[in-house]
Amino acid sequence: MIEFLEGNDAVVRAAIDAGCRFFAGYPITPATSILTGMMRELPTVGGVAVQAEDEIASIGMCLGAAMTGMKAMTATSGPGISLYSENIGLAIMGETPLVIVDVQREGPATGAATKGADGDICFLRWGTSGGLPVIVLSPESVLECYTLTVEAFNLAERFRAPVFLASQKEVGLTREPVDLAQARAAAAPPLARPVASPDEPYLPHGFAAPDEVGPLSPLGGPHLVRYTTSMHDQAGLLTKDPDVIAAMLTHYERKITDHVDEIARYELEEEAGADTLVVAYGVTARAAREAVARARGKGARVSLLVLKTLYPVPERLLADALAPVSRVVVPEMNLGQYVEELRKLADGRELISLAKMNTELLTPEEILTQGGLL
Amino acid sequence: MSSVKGAATSQSYLLGDTLPYPFCPGCGHTKIADYLAQALENLALPAEKVVLVTDIGCVGLTDKHFGVNSFHGLHGRSLTYASGIKLADPELTVIVLLGDGATGIGGAHLLSAARRNLGLTVIVANNFNYGMTGGQHSVTTPPGAITSTTLKGNLEAPLDIPGTLLPSKPAFLARTSVFSVDCVELLTRALTAEGFALVDVWDLCVAYYAGSNTLNKETIAELMTELEMPAGALYEGTRPEYARAWRALYLPETADEEGMCYAPPDEGLSPVATSTLSQRTSILIAGSAGQKIRSAATLLGAGALLSGLYATQKDDYPITVRTGHSAAEVILSPQPVIYTGVEIPDLVLILSPEGLKHVQAKLGSWPESTRVYVEKGLVPGGGLATAATIVELPLAEAAKTVHRLAIGAVGLGAILGREELYPLEAFRVAARKLQKAKVAETNIAGVEVGAGLAQLR
Repeated sequence: MIEFLEGNDAVVRAAIDAGCRFFAGYPITPATSILTGMMRELPTVGGVAVQAEDEIASIGMCLGAAMTGMKAMTATSGPGISLYSENIGLAIMGETPLVIVDVQREGPATGAATKGADGDICFLRWGTSGGLPVIVLSPESVLECYTLTVEAFNLAERFRAPVFLASQKEVGLTREPVDLAQARAAAAPPLARPVASPDEPYLPHGFAAPDEVGPLSPLGGPHLVRYTTSMHDQAGLLTKDPDVIAAMLTHYERKITDHVDEIARYELEEEAGADTLVVAYGVTARAAREAVARARGKGARVSLLVLKTLYPVPERLLADALAPVSRVVVPEMNLGQYVEELRKLADGRELISLAKMNTELLTPEEILTQGGLL
Repeated sequence: MSSVKGAATSQSYLLGDTLPYPFCPGCGHTKIADYLAQALENLALPAEKVVLVTDIGCVGLTDKHFGVNSFHGLHGRSLTYASGIKLADPELTVIVLLGDGATGIGGAHLLSAARRNLGLTVIVANNFNYGMTGGQHSVTTPPGAITSTTLKGNLEAPLDIPGTLLPSKPAFLARTSVFSVDCVELLTRALTAEGFALVDVWDLCVAYYAGSNTLNKETIAELMTELEMPAGALYEGTRPEYARAWRALYLPETADEEGMCYAPPDEGLSPVATSTLSQRTSILIAGSAGQKIRSAATLLGAGALLSGLYATQKDDYPITVRTGHSAAEVILSPQPVIYTGVEIPDLVLILSPEGLKHVQAKLGSWPESTRVYVEKGLVPGGGLATAATIVELPLAEAAKTVHRLAIGAVGLGAILGREELYPLEAFRVAARKLQKAKVAETNIAGVEVGAGLAQLR
């Protein structure tokens, strides 16, 4: 059944299909329609949606609800992510599955509330203290708002970690035809939360190998659960032992970084003999697709890599995609953020940053000409 | 308090092997922890159904000594986690143990939880200063008190915690002190209250506040009198508990189909017509907020889908609601739309002075092939500064025959009538599928009037 949906609508439908049963949010343009959509839709499936008193409470409520066993989501824009910051660290520390949607708008501060940008990319990756890795996905279409939201829930459960959907106004509030039955078929099946056996003793942060992710046991369930923001051991008890702390932090890091290839979502269109690679993500990937099509139409050879997973950086993929080319073009709706990840791997290749943050989309023509695709 | 101490070592709520508590000798937190254990014992609540939520501050170290579930979170945010836990599972007994520091930084959460009457039991270990960081003043520090941040005396008025929450009429409010014999009783009552319950327990920080300000068992009672903050059970309310009331009100309901409904119950927007459109065509609609530009654009796009085309829509508007411009860009194409931006619009519809102002800067860049449909009264004597082809139409006047707010539909009708994007019938079906009957028929009448207007010329 074809519908004419906005990206934010698709996030709501996907969250419910993925098993989300708790949502807390605070109104903010351009993310508000996720809040109102969840308020409207969640009760129909027995879920709970609440407008919290502020963004700190929004994410705090989600963390509490998630630990009772519910899949939880919150949605905001850049200013709200700023207020989420400390609790994002708690989601990491407490190994809490949580989906956080950032419908980005042009910033900094209050910025241009009704205008798009991808200015929060690095902020999502580095936006809490401690520097531990998080997962950031970036949809380019309404369909991907659906499929990547489902992926975000699955990754959150798989890794017991916060997962960001880096949407933005130009995707979240753009309307496109979508057939949700087809979207469901295209999306990964929802992952049930792995739950600890009621018959065995429970370690809230148990692992043997550093990258191993242990199951959760819900508050109110068969085990007594300890959850803490402070540095703790596998039992959730406070520790100051440097060896235990090192082991815990290695676990938090490696459960993500050892599985970069598993987390990487992308489309790579390699063209034989191409000397130029365009790397794009989010709504800008659409201008890049059009630019590459126009360039190829005129006989130029260009490769295109569209990233859906921004973090953890899929370094092996990037290195492989960079290997055959000598030029890399990175268009972005910010002042040039993800291009810095490419710079680390460029190894002498010409790197062209097409950074545009004036609230307007990059155009195919800009990528074609300024990127020298012809 | 020997009976309480006995409980601490022999009963299930305190984990004997974790004792003693880590508090300074003489610290009131020790008593509060014991009182809480005693109150739990009085009620014999199943430990696995109790969650003790704490945050940062000395009293937040209490949770690890209790054999119940514990959630120890960020400074001042314990009420938010507790709220999420209670909303998610109303059957749990959720206890929040926080200090006066957390009460201050989390003030909005305290007000909100009390206003909701959410079923939390909140115990404030109120010792008038930040003990963990070395005795700085807090929201409850009495006037004139000496702390490490009020070196010559505190000038701020102290917060009356239960008094501040009183207007919310929550389930239970009380004030006591660690020296009071009613402490366990008040905590027990708070634990059984149906809704938000708070006990403000005045407490002794022997490391800092008590020493600098000669606070002790006797003077704590005098301080209550002096500050006009009486002790005892202060309020018992009867409002319904929020987590259960929310479920009762919302869970039986089905989705409300107000205005636009994006989940058509039938076959959705599968084609009912065919279009001869052979290439990507972009339409920029520019008018004023309140002219229903965005919903008209949605109908234009939905009509295209109903004609077997692809479509995208993106809008542009200021943050205000009923003032300023409102614009929408719709792209129709026989192929999937890759790029959703509009470099040069093929068709433009200008409906108001705000709409004209919105596109003014771009007029000069539009070629002759761009056709601009514009409300007649808007074109100045010298014409518009553009090479684009101008089609002036009396859209507002025509709309008056239908409804003032149908001007967008009238304009789109003119475009559909002239440009052969897709059959008018598809627009009619779109309106009837996506809008309430009355609104749909107004838009259909508008589009028909507009199409007639285009034919006449």
